[in-house]
Amino acid sequence: MSRYRRREFLKFGAALPLALQSLELRGATEPVAKASPRRIIFICNSLGFYEPNFFPARRGDIETSPYLKDLEVREKMTVFQNLFHPGMDTSNHDSEKSFLTGAPSPEATNFTNTISLDQVLAREMGGDTRFPFLSFSIYDRGWGCSWNSRGVAIPPMHDEQEIFDRLFGEEDLTARRRQIEDDQRVVRSLYRDMEQLQKRSVDSSKIESYRAVIAELEAQLRHEEFWLRTKKPEVPNTLSADQEFAFSAKVGNLFELAKLAFQTDSTRVITVSLDWIYGAISVPGATGGWHTLSHHGGRADVLQKLGRVEIDIVKRLNEFLSELDMIEEDGGTLLDHTTVMVGSNFGDASNHTHNNLPTIVAGGGYRHQAHTVLDHPTPLCSLYLELLHRHGVDVAGFGTSQGDLSLLKG
Amino acid sequence: MASGLSAVEVPEEAADALKHYCFGCHDSATRKGGLDMEELLGGEEIDGTLIFENLLTGKMPPAQKDQPDPEEKRAVLAWLAKRQGGVAQKPFRRISRHEFVHSANDLLGTNLDLTDWIPEDRGSNDFDSDRKIQLSRQMLGSYFSVADEMLDFAFPDGGFPAERTWVTNKVRDSHETYRIYHRPYREGTLFSWTRANNGNSYSFFYEGFSPPVAGWYELTFDAAKVSGIAEDMSLQVHAGKYYYADDRPQPQRLLGVISLGSPELESNTIRAFLRPGESISVHCFSRHNFRSKSPKEGIYIKQLKVRGPVLDSWPPTSYRTVFGDQPMKVASRKSRKVEGFQTNLQKIGGRVTVSSFEKGMEKERMQDGSNLTFWHTRFNPTVAKPPHYVTLENPGGAEIEGLSFATWQGGNGNGLVKAYEIYVSDDGESWGKKIMAGGLDVRLANEQPIVFPRGTSRRFIKFLVTDAVSLDGKSIASIGKLDVITTVDNSPGTSGVTVTTRAPEDLKQVIRGFAERAFSFKPRDAELAPYYKVALGGLEQGGDFVQAAKLGMKAVLCSPRFLLAPGEHGNRSYARAAGLARILWLATPDRGLLTLAASDGLRGDALRRQIRRMLEDARSLRMIRSFSDQWLNLRSLDKVTPSLKLYPLHDDLLNHYLPLETRSYLHHLLKENLPAATLVDSDFSFLNQRLARHYGIEGVIGQEMRRVSFPPEVPRGGLLTMGSVLKVTTDGFDTSPILRGAWISRNIVGTPLSPPPESVPALEPEHGHAETLREQIEQHKENKTCYACHKSIDPYGFALESFDAVGEWREKYKIRQPHRGTFQYRPGGYFKMGREVDSSGEIGGDKFGDIFGLKKLLLANELKIAYNFARKYFEYANGHEPTLAQRLHLWEFLGRAPGNRRLKTLVTEVIHYSLSEANE
Repeated sequence: MSRYRRREFLKFGAALPLALQSLELRGATEPVAKASPRRIIFICNSLGFYEPNFFPARRGDIETSPYLKDLEVREKMTVFQNLFHPGMDTSNHDSEKSFLTGAPSPEATNFTNTISLDQVLAREMGGDTRFPFLSFSIYDRGWGCSWNSRGVAIPPMHDEQEIFDRLFGEEDLTARRRQIEDDQRVVRSLYRDMEQLQKRSVDSSKIESYRAVIAELEAQLRHEEFWLRTKKPEVPNTLSADQEFAFSAKVGNLFELAKLAFQTDSTRVITVSLDWIYGAISVPGATGGWHTLSHHGGRADVLQKLGRVEIDIVKRLNEFLSELDMIEEDGGTLLDHTTVMVGSNFGDASNHTHNNLPTIVAGGGYRHQAHTVLDHPTPLCSLYLELLHRHGVDVAGFGTSQGDLSLLKG
Repeated sequence: MASGLSAVEVPEEAADALKHYCFGCHDSATRKGGLDMEELLGGEEIDGTLIFENLLTGKMPPAQKDQPDPEEKRAVLAWLAKRQGGVAQKPFRRISRHEFVHSANDLLGTNLDLTDWIPEDRGSNDFDSDRKIQLSRQMLGSYFSVADEMLDFAFPDGGFPAERTWVTNKVRDSHETYRIYHRPYREGTLFSWTRANNGNSYSFFYEGFSPPVAGWYELTFDAAKVSGIAEDMSLQVHAGKYYYADDRPQPQRLLGVISLGSPELESNTIRAFLRPGESISVHCFSRHNFRSKSPKEGIYIKQLKVRGPVLDSWPPTSYRTVFGDQPMKVASRKSRKVEGFQTNLQKIGGRVTVSSFEKGMEKERMQDGSNLTFWHTRFNPTVAKPPHYVTLENPGGAEIEGLSFATWQGGNGNGLVKAYEIYVSDDGESWGKKIMAGGLDVRLANEQPIVFPRGTSRRFIKFLVTDAVSLDGKSIASIGKLDVITTVDNSPGTSGVTVTTRAPEDLKQVIRGFAERAFSFKPRDAELAPYYKVALGGLEQGGDFVQAAKLGMKAVLCSPRFLLAPGEHGNRSYARAAGLARILWLATPDRGLLTLAASDGLRGDALRRQIRRMLEDARSLRMIRSFSDQWLNLRSLDKVTPSLKLYPLHDDLLNHYLPLETRSYLHHLLKENLPAATLVDSDFSFLNQRLARHYGIEGVIGQEMRRVSFPPEVPRGGLLTMGSVLKVTTDGFDTSPILRGAWISRNIVGTPLSPPPESVPALEPEHGHAETLREQIEQHKENKTCYACHKSIDPYGFALESFDAVGEWREKYKIRQPHRGTFQYRPGGYFKMGREVDSSGEIGGDKFGDIFGLKKLLLANELKIAYNFARKYFEYANGHEPTLAQRLHLWEFLGRAPGNRRLKTLVTEVIHYSLSEANE
C-alpha cells in the first residue's frame, strides 16, 4: 500500500473549521443528525457564457433565454443581471482567482488574495461533516476558486476516481491512524513535559499560552480520528466513463460527485471550477478549443460552435439541478436545502470584461424571481454578503460588497 | 501602576534643570506643543519617552536656547528612565518561522527551505522577534508537519534514492508556434533575447529531465556567448511547472544566474533544490535585443547535464549529526546514468514500424522527444499510397493506457493528421475491429492524449491515419511525436543507512544529545523522561530504531522549550548561548557554545570573543539577511511592481540583485568594523554588471558581485541611495517624498513619528501633475499642525527625488502616456518627460541643494545615526524597543569613544548588553 503522505493530510487538516470546539465538547460521539441541513455549492464557469444566449431577452421572462428556457427547475431559480466585480478591469484569466473573493487586480504580480466565500461558509457549516468543504476542478492546476484566510490557494481535486475514493472508497486506515497516533503521542509527551515545567513554577504564562494552542491541535487530531472511526457511506460508483465526449462526461461526473456528497451529508460546502484551455474538446455537434472559441470576436461560425459547448454545460447543469430536486428530504427536496450559485469571472469572455457577470441562484428554498435585473451595476460581493447572512454568518461586509440588498426573497 | 510608570521622587538636580531649561515653553501657562512639564513633575502619568529622546539627542532645548550641562542633562534623563521603570515585556517569545527552519536544519544536518510551508505570523510588527506575537494553532500545526517533512528528508524510511545523471539538449517552448527567440544551433540551441522582463509568460523548458524525487540537484550548462558585445550575457535558470501558452503561465522561480563572457563553451553549475513536477527553464538576458527572424546572436547552450539527488557526503550529514555515536551499517551509494531522451515505448523495450517514410523524416524522428523533427510518409520519388499507419510493438506485454500524439511544428500544415483509428493485434497481422477512432487538433503544439476505452497489453497497436491535411490533393501524413501512455517503473533504487542497535539506552542517548542541542542546556534525565517515553514507545511498538528516534526528535522540535525560546536553562551561560545563537545565526548553539556554557563560562570577555567568532562564521549571513529584511523592510521588495510603461528597463534580474547589494554592503561594514557614517555615505558598494548599468557605472563586466569604488560625482554609496531602498519606498509608479522621508526618519535618523491626524487627506504621488506635487507638499509649511512633524520628514524625500521609483538617477520626471492594449511591452516605455526635478530642501535650519548636500548634513550628526542603528539592532535582538534606561546606556556607550560608533563594536556591545545580567 502506498505510504500515506503527511502533507496531504495536513492540507486537509488545515482546512478544518473553527467549529472543532463543539466537537470536543461532545467528546467525539456520533454527530448529531440534523434534519435536512443547509448546503451550498458554487459553480464557476470560468470561460463565461455568451451573453445574448444566456440572459433572457425579455426582462423577467426566463423563457426568452435560449440557454435557460429548457431547464426543468426554472421555477426554483433566479437569473441576476448587472452584477460585477469591481477592480478587474485589465485582468486576464487570473480573474478566476477573485471569483469567490472579490479581491481586485488579481493579475498584479504583488497580488495577494483574500479568503473566499466558500471558506468563510465552511467555517460556519463544515464542523459536522467528514469534509468541511470540497473543491473541484476539471484538471490539475493548483488553484481554483477556494482560497484560505491567508489568501493561499487551496488546490482543488480534479480526478473523479480519486474524489470518489476520498468520499466513499476504502483507504489505508492503518497508515493514517498511525500518523494521527504518532501526533497524539507527541502531544501527550508534551503535556507531560508541561506538567513538569509547571511544577518547577517556571514562567506560567508561557506554559498557559502553549497549552491553549496544543489543546486546539489536539481537538483537530480528534476530529480526524473521529472520522476515521466512522465508516464512509457506501455508494455505488455511478461515474460515467464515456470517452466519446470525455469533457462533457467529466463535467457530469463532478456534478454527480457533488450530488452524492450532499446526499450522504459528507460535506455541506462545495466549489466547482470549470474551464479548459488545453486543446480541442468534443461535445455533441462540435469539436474545438473551448478557450479559442470563447474568443469568438462575434464570428457566426465560431459562435455556433461555442454555443454547442455552452449548451452542453447547461445540459449537465440541468441534470444536476433536476436530480437534486428529485431527492426527497424532510421538508422538501435536496435542491430546496441546497443553494446553487452558478456564475463566471467573465461577463464577455471574448473581450475579457468583468461587468454584467452571468449569475444564477437556484434552489435553497428561496422565493425565486426568475429574472432580476438590477438598475445599477452592483458588486457581486453584495450578493455574496447576502448568502453569508442567509447561512448564519453575521458579518458587515465581504470583499467589495456594498451591503445586503435582499436580492433573495422568501 | 497600570501604565508601568513608577512614582519616583524627582531628584533636586533634575527638577531644577527641568524648571530652568524647559518651563520657558512647557509650563502650565504656555504648554507649547501641548506639553506641560509641571504636570510631569507633579507626578502625573505622562509618557516621558518623547521628552527623553528629544533631550538625549539634543533636539530640545532648541539650539538657540540656553543648554543644560552634561550633569544636569544626565540627571533629568536618569530620572525619566527610572520613572519609566522596566517596561513590562513578556518574558518569552515564540520562535519565528525562519528561526525554526534554520535551527532544524542545523540540528538535523539538512538544508531544506520549508519556510513557505509555515504561515507568516509577523503581522504588522517590524521585527520577527516581537514579543507581542503569539503562537497559534495554525503555526503549531505547521511545525508538526514541517518537523515531519524535515525528519523524513533527513532519515527517509525507504533509504536514499540513487544518484542519477541526465544529459539533454531538447527544448520545449511554452509558445512553440512562435519560435522567434531560439533556434537549433551547432549541437544545441541558440537563445536570443527572450523577453526576460516578464519572463513568467514565456518560458523555454528543457525536456528529458524531471526530478524523480525532492532533493538537491546539480545543473550543469555547457554554454557560450555568441555575440561581439563587450559585456557578459546572463543565463537565467528557473524551475516551475510546465505550461503551455500564456493563458495560464505558471510561476517560475529563479534558481540562479550564469554569467557568460566567453565565446568558448564553458561548463557552469547551479545547485538547486527541486521537487517532482518541476521543470527546468532558461532565459537569455542581455540589454541588447537580438530578436530577428533567424537570430545570430545570443547564448548557445550545447546541453544541460543534471546530477542528483546529490548528498553532501555518504553517509549523509544527518546520520553523522544525530546518530554519530551509534553503530551504523552503510550500504554503498547507488548511481545511474540516464543518457539522452527515452520514450515510454523505448523504456518498455518496444519499437515502431511505419507504412512508409521519406528520407530525413524517418520513424526515429517522432521518437526523439521533439516535435520540431517528424516522421513523414514517402513522397519522393513517388508518393506512398494509403493506408498510412504506425505500428507500435509492445513485446513485454506492458499495460498500455493509450497513445500520446503531437503534430510537428513549423511546416505549412500539409500532412498533419486530423483523424485516426486504433487497432490492436497479437501477431501484427490480424487486426480485427478498431478499438476506437477520433480527431486531432492540428494547431496544437503540445501532446494530445488518446486514451483507449480500456487498457491493453496486446503486443501490437496500430495507429491508422484516416484523414490528414492535404494542400495539394495528395495523400500524405506526418507526425511530430507518438508514444504510448503507460506506467514506467522508474525507480532507480535506494541505498540505506541502518543504525544497528535497538538498545533503549542508546535511544535515550540519541534523544538526550538532540534535546541538549535543541533546548540549549543539559537537562537532567528525569526532565527528559517525556521525550524518552515517546521514543521508547515507538521502539516497543516494533518500530525501527531510527523511526523511534524520529518520534522523539519531533516531540523535541514541537516542545514549548524549543518553540517558545529561549527555553528553560540550567544556568545563565546556557541562556546566553541560546540568545547568541538565535540573534546571530537564527539557530541553536553549536558545540563550542554549549561547552562554554556547561562551565558557566559565557561572560565578560569570553562572551565578547564568542560574539566575534560567531560574526565571522558564515551562519551570520542569515542574521545580515534577516536584520536587513526587517529593519530596511526589504522583505516587501517584491511587493512593489514597477510600471514597465514608465520603467521599461526594470527586470527580474535587477530585482534579484538589488537586495544582494544591500546584504553584501552591510556584511562588509560589519566585517570591517566601519563607522556608522558608512550607513549614510561611502565611496563604494557591491555591484555587478546589471546593478552597475542601473547606476550608470561603466566597466563592470560579469554578474558576480564585487566591491566597486565610486568617483566623487557618483551619488551612490550608503543605504539611502541604494536601488533596493529607493524601490521599496515607492509604489512602483511615482515617488513620494513623504513616504521616502518618513522611511529615512524612522530607519536611519530615528526621529520618532506620530501618525497624521485623521482628518487630513493623504497626498497621492502623481507626477502627471508634477507641477503641483511639491507645492502640495510645501503646503505643510502653511499648516502649523502638519509642519510640526513634516518639517523633519519631507526634506529627506525631496533630496531623493533625484531617483525614480526603481532607483535610477533622473533629472526630469516621467509622465505616463496612455496607450491601447494590455500587454504591449516597448523598450522605450510609454511616457514623456515632464519638468525638472528639484531636490533641494531645508532641515533643522540647514539648507541643502541635492542628495550630496543631504548626506553631508546627516553625516554631521553621526552619533544620532549610530544611536538609531543601535536601537534598531537592540529591537531585532530582543523583540522589544529598548527601555529608556537601556537607551541611556546605548547613548552613553556611543559617546564614550569615537571608536564605539564602529558597527562591529556597536553590534557586539548591543548583544553583550542585551544578554548581560542587567537585562535578565
